[in-house]
Amino acid sequence: MKLTADEYRALEDIVGPDYITQDPVIMESYNQVWGNKLAFGDKRHNPPAAVLLPGSIEEIQKIVKFCNKAGILFKASARAFEYVATYLSSERGILLELKRLNRILEIDEKNMHAVVEPYVTVYQLQDAAGRVGLYTGKPGVGYSASVISLACCHQEMTISQIYTSGYGRNVLGCEWVLPTGDILNLGTSNREGGWFSGDGPGFSLRGILRGRAGANGGNGIITKCSVKLYPWYSDPPTMQPLERKPGEALSAAQLARIPDNYKAWVFTFPTTEQMLKASTEIGQAELACIVAPAYMATGFQEEGNDEMWTKMKEGKMEDPNKIARSVPVFINGHSARELAYREKAVMAVVKKWEGYLDPDLNNPKIMAQRFQYQMWSTGIGGLRATGDFMVSIQGADGSTEMQLKFRPIEVEAFKPFRERGYIVQPNMGMSYRPMEHFSLGSSGGIATGYDPWDPESLAAAREYMNLVYDPNGPFRRFGYTNRGAMMQVEAIEHIHERWGPIYDHADKWLQKVRNMLDPNRVADWSGYIPPEYESQKKKSAS
Amino acid sequence: MSWENYEHDMQRCTRCSYCKYIPWRFIKNFDFMEGCPSAARYNWHAYSAGGKFNIGYSLLKEKIEINETFLDVVYKCLMDGSCDISCKVGQDIEPLQHMQELRIKCVDEGYLLPQHQPFIRNLRKEDNMMLKPRSERGDWAKDLPVKRATEEKVEVLYHAGCRYSYDQELWPVARAGLTLLQQAGVDVGIMGEDEACCGGRAYELGYVGEMTKFAEHQAETFRTAGIRTLVTPCADCYATYRVLYDKIGKKLNVEVYHITQYLEKLILEGKLQPKKSLPLKVTYHDPCHLGRLGEPWIHWNGKEVKVPGVLMWLHDPPKKYRRGTFGVYDAPRNVIKSIPGLNFVEMYRIREYAWCCGAGGGVIDAYPDFAEWTALERLREALSVGAEAIVSACPWCKRVFKDAAKKNGNQIEVLDIIELVQQSV
Repeated sequence: MKLTADEYRALEDIVGPDYITQDPVIMESYNQVWGNKLAFGDKRHNPPAAVLLPGSIEEIQKIVKFCNKAGILFKASARAFEYVATYLSSERGILLELKRLNRILEIDEKNMHAVVEPYVTVYQLQDAAGRVGLYTGKPGVGYSASVISLACCHQEMTISQIYTSGYGRNVLGCEWVLPTGDILNLGTSNREGGWFSGDGPGFSLRGILRGRAGANGGNGIITKCSVKLYPWYSDPPTMQPLERKPGEALSAAQLARIPDNYKAWVFTFPTTEQMLKASTEIGQAELACIVAPAYMATGFQEEGNDEMWTKMKEGKMEDPNKIARSVPVFINGHSARELAYREKAVMAVVKKWEGYLDPDLNNPKIMAQRFQYQMWSTGIGGLRATGDFMVSIQGADGSTEMQLKFRPIEVEAFKPFRERGYIVQPNMGMSYRPMEHFSLGSSGGIATGYDPWDPESLAAAREYMNLVYDPNGPFRRFGYTNRGAMMQVEAIEHIHERWGPIYDHADKWLQKVRNMLDPNRVADWSGYIPPEYESQKKKSAS
Repeated sequence: MSWENYEHDMQRCTRCSYCKYIPWRFIKNFDFMEGCPSAARYNWHAYSAGGKFNIGYSLLKEKIEINETFLDVVYKCLMDGSCDISCKVGQDIEPLQHMQELRIKCVDEGYLLPQHQPFIRNLRKEDNMMLKPRSERGDWAKDLPVKRATEEKVEVLYHAGCRYSYDQELWPVARAGLTLLQQAGVDVGIMGEDEACCGGRAYELGYVGEMTKFAEHQAETFRTAGIRTLVTPCADCYATYRVLYDKIGKKLNVEVYHITQYLEKLILEGKLQPKKSLPLKVTYHDPCHLGRLGEPWIHWNGKEVKVPGVLMWLHDPPKKYRRGTFGVYDAPRNVIKSIPGLNFVEMYRIREYAWCCGAGGGVIDAYPDFAEWTALERLREALSVGAEAIVSACPWCKRVFKDAAKKNGNQIEVLDIIELVQQSV
């Protein structure tokens, strides 16, 4: 059942006629996102009953309060580049696209934090912060990801998290429209009243806000957020020189050189263990701003698949076995002296663990591109090759030791799939991103490519996913990831129900908190946890 | 390829929304990051190229039908190809061709936009898209001493195009272009009232049959008149002759130049010498049809293939995508830079990822308010870099910019490159 005419009119009165639509043609552009085929069996999922573009927090509050009164499900989305972003658990669900809330409200240079609205992207913030010598993290996704989505809704991990931590841990405060329509402000004010700290006296409900690993809109709407920033010692990304030869496509344009005050290398070691030991020492000594093999295999991006295939056939791709024993390390410093010190210290650690610089992996042109990709953005090349990918093994609460243990298990588990050839793992090595100078473990994930439009490839992807997430399978409880690799669409798969008992019934607490925040059950839970599992419904019915 | 053949592209659109913006890596100023006027103006995702992939897919799966909203989404689009460029930085799909085929499907099935009908009727009856009679086509050059290519042999045919032929306020530019060629000693002629529309604008509206008809007519006319070289001051005509005719298998046996390319050649050869200093700060607007849409057509006849164990979607033979790289970008800039005294400054959205003027895709005829909004956005950008004049190389750009400039109090002068050269030589 869609909205009634009275309900539509009431919502229209709130945002104005230009900012609401339920036209079936328009709705069909809010139900088709990458990953849908795996999650829903179709490119399309149910379209929303209406889409609204609220222009202020007051409008959002009114909409949410009306949803409570009328029993309409709601979900907010920013850039909506994710299958859970547009999916609603009921046909009587509306989508609030927050594109009109698009301002960077403040960059506090002295206290090193920024206050942003939901439509502000990572790249916008990287650039604005870079203009005052500050930096926000670099997420795995592309340029266009919303800072608030990453920080408050997904618990996003970052490539740069050895230095900047993950987005989820950088929230200092936020303005939160609860599922009831009330506003809750998190974080501690400084003397002037601005957000200053996520901890200390006052509310620090970051864990509640995001749930176990990302509430994906299931706990209401974040309309403002303050995130911590980190030092940056060069020009902002939009002022960095790009290089492109005549006749080259735009995709070939890349950073001309690594900026002053930064240095970048890829070190190769005799064994993976030595590589990991060296990485840990470099990280724990707080020498580096990037230690992240995760994207090393990205290599140089070609114009398209055909060009990439030509290069592969000619044997010009980087050797995956060598990459498996290699790690990129970037350092920065506010002065030449600091940079020299860090370089000297890094080289000492590398020497201790018998590391070396392989010229093939340290081509200056490719290093400049790696710098661009790892500090700012990779774009979305990962979706081009096969059409889709999923991420396996450890999530936010992993550790490098754990990954060292489980990676060989995954290689073994993947072997029959590799032989069948319906899904692919181009990266042979460990893929991890240590957090906060190796003090908090690391996150990681091996990208597994599949073709959602090839029935055999899709079936193989599902089979592999089920193997990875089987609590009794080769990865045991450690297959449980931060985002469930497309398993977290709760309307379809109750991943929490499946895994809760293994994790001290954490799902029960999530459910209790969710239901307390949302007594009328109007905040869409499709990317989070349902108010009741189907089994609970049946139990209470009987 | 017809619309249905783009199903794989529809499936593979990821909803990254990169089509809405200029390529992220090239953003220099976030105030000017938008690339798609339609998505920027009409807000809903459907108005972007990605959104059109979505509604195309839903149409294919019979979840929706072509209706008024569908036509609104399909036709409130400038067909400027900015989306195509941004998308292809990361993807191997064809947003612009899909949108073109959607329009062709609408027309083929009789879903016609009423606003376009007078223009199409006039094209069929009077050979132009300007709602004017054929008999007035040559008026712009009535008193000029110039050869008629239909009557005597000429080395170069100067094809004015519909806008320059009928838009009286722009006649001085069309005349100046011709005069410059004559001054440089080029053996040039015109067709006068015998000139006909190239058909490109009709094609962009979805009337592929109309353009085919004009392509055949032009080929015959040029063959009869012995035309070997054609120079046009209109970017639309340039792209039609150079790209679209080739696309539909009607490639002309004529060397086609845009006038900026020809002026560059004449200046390099010393046949034209810009001497007079013009103390003016100018910026250049890349017309879409000269820039990214002016890139030569690349024919590809093959099939999609997959390599087991690699899984990448590949093409046999390998397919070269048009990514805007080989549009005409340097010739106009070189001409501008050859003029003494000019202070040339670039805007933030240039070359492959330039913002459209607002006149493309039939928008100037069907949705003039949208055309004006788009043009005002460009003028705002030109003003933001301190330009005193925005210079373009197409009469459609000039028209829509001139109208928009009046709306913002003529804060900026609107010029064609031809006018600059004329003032300087």
